Amino acid sequence: MLRQYLVRRLTLLFFMVLLLSLFTFTLSYLFPGDVSTNLSGIDSAGFNANDQITEKYKLNENYLLQYFAFIQHIVNGDWGLSLASGQPVFEHVKTLFPATVELALYALLISILIGIPTGVIAAAYHKKWQDHVIYTVTLFAYSTPVFWLALILIMAFCLQLGLLPMSGRISLLFEVEHQTGFLLIDILLSNNTYKQAALIDAFHHLLLPSIVLATYPTAVLVRFTKDAMLDVLDKSYIKSARAKGLNHSQIIFHHALRNALLPVISQIGLQFSTLITLAMITEVIFSWPGIGAWLINSIYQRDFPAIMGGLLTVSLFVIIATMIADILNTILDPVSRNRSHGQV
Amino acid sequence: MHLLDIRNLTIELNTGDHVIRAVDKVNLSLKEGEVHALVGESGSGKSLIAKALMGVLNERWQVTADRIHWQGVDLMRLPPEKRRKLIGKEIAMIYQEPSSCLDPTAKIFEQIAESIPEQGLSGYFWQRKKQRKQRATALLHKVGIKRHTKVLDSYPHELSEGVCQKVMIAMAIARSPKLLIADEPTTALESTTRAQIFRLLKSLNQLKSMSILMISHELAELNDWTHGLHVLYCGQMVEAGPSKKVFGSPKHPYTQALIKSSPEHNVALEHKSELYALKGTIPTLQHLPIGCRLGPRCPQAQKDCVATPQANDFHGHTVACHFPLSQK
Repeated sequence: MLRQYLVRRLTLLFFMVLLLSLFTFTLSYLFPGDVSTNLSGIDSAGFNANDQITEKYKLNENYLLQYFAFIQHIVNGDWGLSLASGQPVFEHVKTLFPATVELALYALLISILIGIPTGVIAAAYHKKWQDHVIYTVTLFAYSTPVFWLALILIMAFCLQLGLLPMSGRISLLFEVEHQTGFLLIDILLSNNTYKQAALIDAFHHLLLPSIVLATYPTAVLVRFTKDAMLDVLDKSYIKSARAKGLNHSQIIFHHALRNALLPVISQIGLQFSTLITLAMITEVIFSWPGIGAWLINSIYQRDFPAIMGGLLTVSLFVIIATMIADILNTILDPVSRNRSHGQV
Repeated sequence: MHLLDIRNLTIELNTGDHVIRAVDKVNLSLKEGEVHALVGESGSGKSLIAKALMGVLNERWQVTADRIHWQGVDLMRLPPEKRRKLIGKEIAMIYQEPSSCLDPTAKIFEQIAESIPEQGLSGYFWQRKKQRKQRATALLHKVGIKRHTKVLDSYPHELSEGVCQKVMIAMAIARSPKLLIADEPTTALESTTRAQIFRLLKSLNQLKSMSILMISHELAELNDWTHGLHVLYCGQMVEAGPSKKVFGSPKHPYTQALIKSSPEHNVALEHKSELYALKGTIPTLQHLPIGCRLGPRCPQAQKDCVATPQANDFHGHTVACHFPLSQK
């Protein structure tokens, strides 16, 4: 049963990726300028080079063959050159993307660790003062713009108190070899004598951006967990569990929490796209060398190959994250495990 | 001594602008080993009484009573935590939609294991799982489920309603309660399973001398094996007494109408003639009549019926009516 479901899900993934790649490919025609420039990132090349590019991307053939050639180069890791830097786009993505994922994952971790327990507390003390306090705080977190919050925190903690650094991933003093792209893992893998100091420094750099980024998803998760909990606590199996003689905490931990967390897991998957969008703004403000800031810069500079590459990466990531959350939800939920059709 | 003794139980719903009295001064008492039935139309407050007794009503409902004695202990005066413990140990309840009363994400074994009391197990906690499994299997056998391995390993949505109800009963008898409240246990079931469930409850009553409070609207099926019958209308107890007396010679017009309208009573009816039914419908909770709530629909109603009738006792057969039917 589960295997069938996975096959369906993967088929869906395949078609979504197909559509995404088609869209990316058509962008090279939709963007202003020459198709060959948009694809290769080589501007006003000589005759010779021009022929080479035409040959490489099969620009004289029909659209289908062009698309296949495009896919082939994408798969081979040849994503063209960036118009702005002249470097291969794929190399940029490789170094920048892990930074974004790292930031987003830590923010997500914070929001899960804070959001879900808070939501459970709010539901357990429904309509008591604890609930009202949590509601008010989430309302603020919900409606505060990310950039404003980021600037306020920078003013308070970096400029006034001087406790935390205000930009970048790590102090320039430390040199960390690029291995996985995830800074904390790289530091742990490296053999430097200043390993511990570098780790602490990286943590300091990470703290403010991930808090800023986590604010909104945390508020969403608190609200969502609370609603899901209240919903479940009203179900008749909770009443019958209570009639069985279980106490309040047994009911919450054995029956309510498990049922309430199922919709929350799929909600976490849906939060990923918001998270990446917010990450772009956060990266710009904290000069975080991630793909979001780079993508925004590329848009300003009309660096079309870079835009295409960045778009492809970010969208692919969001699709896969949603898919993973969905599969996780299905594995954990015995009722939806038997659902026969995949859905997004 | 009475196992359960309820005096003047009143359940009210506070809607903000006014208070609706859904259950009005109901008395009910039950001896050990007896089967009693609470009968009435839907909306007459049968389930509310059971839920109030179990203490699982929402905060919106207000429960007051002169006394709710459980084996001499007044439940109304116990602190909530103590009350929950006492009730969880001695009273069990099964519901009308068994599949929705089982946790959809937990396997049947986990749910049965939860209701097996810790005191009955011996040894350290790692030895207990096996004992729990044996107990759960035995419980399933007791309620007539033979494929215990499959059922124990299933989720509720993989089982039929009938099996779910049997699992609910298994969970209910795990603590060997003194009283089982069955809230329309057979409404969602087909007739063969229904007969099985009734047989099961009957045998539990006879073999374990477990008292049962049946909540139902199927008069005919209850009549021959229940000891007492309580008829409710709109939250008022209209007639109560030994089943044979109430069923055989009803003194309240409503009970009479209820018996007359049952299909079994109408077997000899002529082809295409009308079935007997009381005129009108059960009033909504917002528009309850004053006095005897049956008043507007009652064929025998007279001027006095605007005052709430007192319950009159005729040798253990109580009737709340100003003009009880005189029997042949």
